Amino acid sequence: MSEYTLTAQPALGGYQETFEGVSLEEQTGLAIVSIATPIGGEDALVKALKDGYGAALPKTGEVSLSKDGQTRFLGMARDQMFAIFDHTEPDAVDIVGGKLKDVAYLTSQSDNWVGLRLSGSKSRDVLERICPLDLEPSRFAEGKVARTSMEHMGVIILPDGADSFLLITASSSAASFLHAVETSIQNVVG
Amino acid sequence: MTQTNRISGGLVDRSKTLNFTFNGKNLQGHPGDTLASALLANGQRMMGRSFKYHRPRGVLTAGSEEPNALVQLRAGAHQEPNTRATVAELFDGLAATSQNHRGSLETDLMEVTDLFSRFLSAGFYYKTFMWPKSFWEKVYEPIIRHSAGLGRLSGQEDPDIYDKGFLHCDLLVIGGGPAGLSAALTAGRSGARVILADEDFLFGGRLNAETFEVDAMPGSDWAERARAELTAMDNVRLMTRTTVYGAYDHGIYGALERMTDHLPTSSGKPRQILWRIYSKRAVLCAGATERPIAFGNNDRPGVMLAGAVRAYANRWAAAPGKRVAVFTNNDDGWRTASDLSRAGVTISAIIDSRDGEPRAQIPGATVAMGGRVMDTCGRKGIRSIKLVDGRTIDADCLAVSGGWNPNVHLTGHQRGRPAWREDLAAFVPGEDLPAGMAVAGAANGALTLAAALSEGRAASEKALNDLGISPNGGDMVKAEDEAADITAFWHVGESKARAWLDQQNDVTAKDVKLAHRESYRSVEHLKRYTTLGMATDQGKTANMLALAIMAECTGKTIPETGTTIFRPPYTPIAMGALAGRARGKDFRPYRLTPSHKWAEEQGAVFVTTGMWLRAQWFPRPDETHWRESVDREVAGTRGSVGVCDVTTLGKIDIQGRDAAEFLNKLYVNGFAKLAVGKVRYGLMLREDGMAMDDGTTARLGEHHFVMTTTTANAGPVFRHMEFCRQCLWPELDVNLISTTDGWAQFAVAGPNARKLLQKVVDPEHDITNEAFPFMACAELTICGGTKARLFRISFSGELAFEIAVPARYGDSLMRVLMAVGEEFDVVPYGTEALGVMRIEKGHAAGNELTGQTSAANLGMGRMVSKKKDCIGNTLSERPDLNRDDGLRLVGFKPVNRVETLTSGAHFIALGKSAVMDNDEGWMSSVTFSPELGHSIGIGFIKQGSERLGEVVRAVDLVRGKDIEVEIVSAHFIDPEGERLRV
Repeated sequence: MSEYTLTAQPALGGYQETFEGVSLEEQTGLAIVSIATPIGGEDALVKALKDGYGAALPKTGEVSLSKDGQTRFLGMARDQMFAIFDHTEPDAVDIVGGKLKDVAYLTSQSDNWVGLRLSGSKSRDVLERICPLDLEPSRFAEGKVARTSMEHMGVIILPDGADSFLLITASSSAASFLHAVETSIQNVVG
Repeated sequence: MTQTNRISGGLVDRSKTLNFTFNGKNLQGHPGDTLASALLANGQRMMGRSFKYHRPRGVLTAGSEEPNALVQLRAGAHQEPNTRATVAELFDGLAATSQNHRGSLETDLMEVTDLFSRFLSAGFYYKTFMWPKSFWEKVYEPIIRHSAGLGRLSGQEDPDIYDKGFLHCDLLVIGGGPAGLSAALTAGRSGARVILADEDFLFGGRLNAETFEVDAMPGSDWAERARAELTAMDNVRLMTRTTVYGAYDHGIYGALERMTDHLPTSSGKPRQILWRIYSKRAVLCAGATERPIAFGNNDRPGVMLAGAVRAYANRWAAAPGKRVAVFTNNDDGWRTASDLSRAGVTISAIIDSRDGEPRAQIPGATVAMGGRVMDTCGRKGIRSIKLVDGRTIDADCLAVSGGWNPNVHLTGHQRGRPAWREDLAAFVPGEDLPAGMAVAGAANGALTLAAALSEGRAASEKALNDLGISPNGGDMVKAEDEAADITAFWHVGESKARAWLDQQNDVTAKDVKLAHRESYRSVEHLKRYTTLGMATDQGKTANMLALAIMAECTGKTIPETGTTIFRPPYTPIAMGALAGRARGKDFRPYRLTPSHKWAEEQGAVFVTTGMWLRAQWFPRPDETHWRESVDREVAGTRGSVGVCDVTTLGKIDIQGRDAAEFLNKLYVNGFAKLAVGKVRYGLMLREDGMAMDDGTTARLGEHHFVMTTTTANAGPVFRHMEFCRQCLWPELDVNLISTTDGWAQFAVAGPNARKLLQKVVDPEHDITNEAFPFMACAELTICGGTKARLFRISFSGELAFEIAVPARYGDSLMRVLMAVGEEFDVVPYGTEALGVMRIEKGHAAGNELTGQTSAANLGMGRMVSKKKDCIGNTLSERPDLNRDDGLRLVGFKPVNRVETLTSGAHFIALGKSAVMDNDEGWMSSVTFSPELGHSIGIGFIKQGSERLGEVVRAVDLVRGKDIEVEIVSAHFIDPEGERLRV
């Protein structure tokens, strides 16, 4: 037995700041699992999602919620979705696998990404400076998800409240992305 | 001087006084003033010197089309040259200086150039500086460079910040004059998402400059009421100080919003924002620009466009002169006379090039119907004008109107050509508009008020209908069309003195005629030969006159002569705004490895590889040269054990029933039979048979593989694989996802690598050579239960492993590896040591996988399996890629061991000259080998593998080196690979 144990470090050190009209917070316990549909396996996946989570298979660009409200399934591509839920340990694949059995190909994505929640009345004004998507509430509200690029970095964005957005971006460039969002806040707020 | 020319009325706020300076002189103005209007109100007619001849110049226009009144604003690092005084909003403390003079504005020593004007005509520098040839670089060019340009940059870094952004709307209305306001009101009231943008700081356009009524109220009041109504609408975004400068594909427009240019300081906020506007429909309501008439000495301060004179009087309460004369070919010029006369300014004369009855009675004014102004007098400002009939009339301001040109510019940004309207003597938008764009108002040739209001509303309604929104614009506004007759008249033929067309570039009517005599026929050539229509104003007031004169010369019509192509930007944009916030280290994103913080603590020197910041080496305090550090890291690794963060290598998770078959088709070598728990080196080719990338792929399960790619190719390889999956073999059940960022991965290399790892790998996992041989892989646990992946692979040539943990544990694992490795004198090593060791081992990397090398070149020709097909297999069989004398990757040692090899050197046989015909290949990578104690290299040379022991020359003409080298095996150390397998 090694005398050492490993300590987990959040990619942005658990960043959390509040500004006038907007706050920005790293989502440190965010588990993400990629779920890919095998060819011919959609029916089985639909059933497993229903049985295991009480959730529907999301269309690309849409989000479906588990019955207990704890897990969101983001439709990422024609044959791929992400399950996201709060879970601090790196065994999220096992948890999803336990619910879905062997009906899909699962890959842990928790450490690939960093989640940042941007919320507050000025959140759209802040995002307007970096996000090319139309975030107008009637067009992009809870239940929607999109992949886009902000300041040359890939971002998954989903509204998770009236004035709240979850921004999921690659963990290696998270410091750059945080700088981009902070710059927007600095430029817009106050 | 105290606002001697300030008159009553206007839209300036007299309750507040703003202090500003012009060339150090203290002056006053009011909120609502531009710098130009404030200078005129203070009686300052002369505002700058002309570009070529240094002639005194005053303001010509009242808008963004201004060619003359270019000034330098602010001071120090904030200094900005070539700013148009006509659009610079006055603020308290503004400091402006005039440009392009040596000595004072009034006494410019460079004015002497005007005396040599006959030698400085169009294209003079093409003709004048031909001889002696040797003078060009040392004499002529420095003189020309010194004289070129108008204002001066500060030479310091721009301290302002800039931003960019994205906006979306149903309808973008470009221009907030009568047509634009009408369009925006219609769409806004109908519930559409509207953006209304105007370059001015006040909505209303010409309504603010005229005395027209709309809905029985002054036009400017109606504009203000419209603004207030639009402001109250949640679905409308009003953007003043915003120039829509370009029309791009798919309804996308570029716009520059000037956020703080009207304020003394930016207070830490962006000075300007460059917006990308995504519109479903757009209505261009950009108005029209008045054009002058060319006659002798028409450039003196005080000669202005008639509409501008009227705007200064009506909107800014600034009289451009005490005695104003008007020269016009249309009814609009008469309005200048009547408006100014009503404001109490003396109108000395009205000269109308048309015959017929006077269009109005102006008290005290001499009227000359069918008259023409031939010349003007007054060195630093106009004093009098001369008519062709010999009369001289006193005037300190001459208001000139040659008609109005619709601002069609944005309609041509996708190569649409304007159409000619004879009744307006002007170009209007053609039929080939950018998709989704409509044009309304003066920009569309509807030059009168009621027509503009009506067109704006109609264009908006059409756009709403297209979008499925029911128009609900409310009552029609009431307004009348003003008289607007025109008879085209371009220049006064009787003038002997120079007649200026493009005042910004000092281009005269004679220059255009000269260009024609010298056989320039195309307007594009005319532009470039004479410099007509270049620089900040892009010839907005000049081009039509030049076209008309060119048409006269060629005997063609104006539409036959055509216009130059309109391109963005409509008005100048600061480079800072184009750069936006992408400056310094944030010029582009950077990626950090999981051990970055730890490496920073060790004082690592970082290098950018792709977007990653990687530790290049870890200097110790006593080391004075990077080679010392690198040699120590190599020696430490080969002598005991070293650790390197290799997270940056691309990792692709591959799962599916057909994953093995997929890899078989992708790689040149077979993967179908790779056992679970094993890793294999793989090479993939492009479709053309050239090497694309290499790496290792581990089989974690029957249907589960993990591929590594080179750092630089992680993205391109993933894209290539997705293309193969989705487009080439959609029938295969395989799924891909990047896990590069998800796993922190460290190479642990050196004879003590296993011993070190045995201290972190949980004891139930056996990693002895027997249980975990070379090219084995496993999912296991370390440090008391943390899930990890272990691969027994080696890039260094030593006994080596790569251990991966979820990225969140990367920092912690690096610290643990260093701590447990202390007893083995573990060293962290960076990319330089990594490079040294891979060259010593003869491994190909980016320098060898250039996209121009084949598997055969790399010595891996036999890896290309002929038992199966793969991408690039067929084209790799092209005869020229399989020549007997083809290039082969081999090693090189200098014959004289003290010599230092250079990469990029070319191989030439002994005794042959260093010319292309004798080129036999090139050195791709070199290093100093701490192991061998001298410089070594690998490279490609013809038949290399059959020439071991031969001596050739490595000739580097760039660095002036010519070194004899011996061809050797590329595997400088451990050629049998024994170290890997212990």
